Amino acid sequence: MPPRRRGLATAAAAALLLSGCGGLDSDAVEKVATTFADHGTDAATRCQLLAENTLTSLVEDAGTACEEAIGDLPIGTGTPTAVEVWGEEAQVKLTDDTLFLTRTSSGWKVMAAACRPKAEEQPYDCQVEGS
Amino acid sequence: MRRFFSQNSLSLAFGGLFLLTLVGQAVSGVAAFNDQRLADGLEQISLLRYVTSSAFGVDVMENWQSEYLQFFLYILGTVWLIQLGSSESKKPGETGIETDKEQKVGRYATKDSPAWASAGGWRTSLFSRSLGLVMGTLFLLTWTASAISGWAAFNDEQLMSLEDPVTLLGYLAQGDFWSRTLQNWQSEMLAVGSMVIFSVYLRQRGSPESKPVGTPHAATGMTG
Repeated sequence: MPPRRRGLATAAAAALLLSGCGGLDSDAVEKVATTFADHGTDAATRCQLLAENTLTSLVEDAGTACEEAIGDLPIGTGTPTAVEVWGEEAQVKLTDDTLFLTRTSSGWKVMAAACRPKAEEQPYDCQVEGS
Repeated sequence: MRRFFSQNSLSLAFGGLFLLTLVGQAVSGVAAFNDQRLADGLEQISLLRYVTSSAFGVDVMENWQSEYLQFFLYILGTVWLIQLGSSESKKPGETGIETDKEQKVGRYATKDSPAWASAGGWRTSLFSRSLGLVMGTLFLLTWTASAISGWAAFNDEQLMSLEDPVTLLGYLAQGDFWSRTLQNWQSEMLAVGSMVIFSVYLRQRGSPESKPVGTPHAATGMTG
């Protein structure tokens, strides 16, 4: 391999390692986000895609089962425009929402949804999030 | 084999201590990392996942870079700067890169000098600076690794707090990067400065890092 290509390959490998095997993770994250944001997906499946802490908060706040509450939440239905994966966490920007995901032993789960940006360098204001 | 161990005991002992403490850092680091994740309601991660994470990477690299910077500056600084009475310093009047005769290079090289000390040209020139060059290069590499792994760890934390990730340039403008860098640099400068001054007035019998016990405080550049 010519030196320049070898350098590029090394940089690409480092970037992949740092982003947690980037491409593979991005695909998995985008798939979970798309399924979760598709309101045609059955409620039980969407609830299974929530992180445990987020699911608990949602049920406590709604005072009813997740399957009954999730359809009423202002979660976006748009298509993904950007996916960022950094270590154990990820962010998917949809055309009409921003989702935050976390890596778990059973795959990527949504830890926050229905998020609107506040001021710059401030956390998003999310209607669905863990306590 | 026994002879090999006794003749290399200093490197082997520090190599072993390095590995033991690195393992200790990994084990205690994953515990602290998981405590934080538990408090944030997130799933804990395995030791293997932790040691390949940017969080562990930046904690290791931020320390390595400062160690290599310390030795790089010390190696170069002691060519030109002196401290009267210190075993770490040259004597006054000996500053600078010295003559070829004093350095045993080129035609002054001896039979057992390294080949590149007598080769002349770029090889002698390069070999004459190889220690500083390697330390300086390692510093730049580990500082770069510290910046990149720090950026990745910072963005993981940003997402954990439901904030947008930042670009590499954005990270380099953050307090996190400079705080990690400067807290390590200041401790290294303190350690070197302390060693230079302490070696004027204090002794450690038998150590080449110290003057012989009975040597006057004013004697410079002597080792025991």
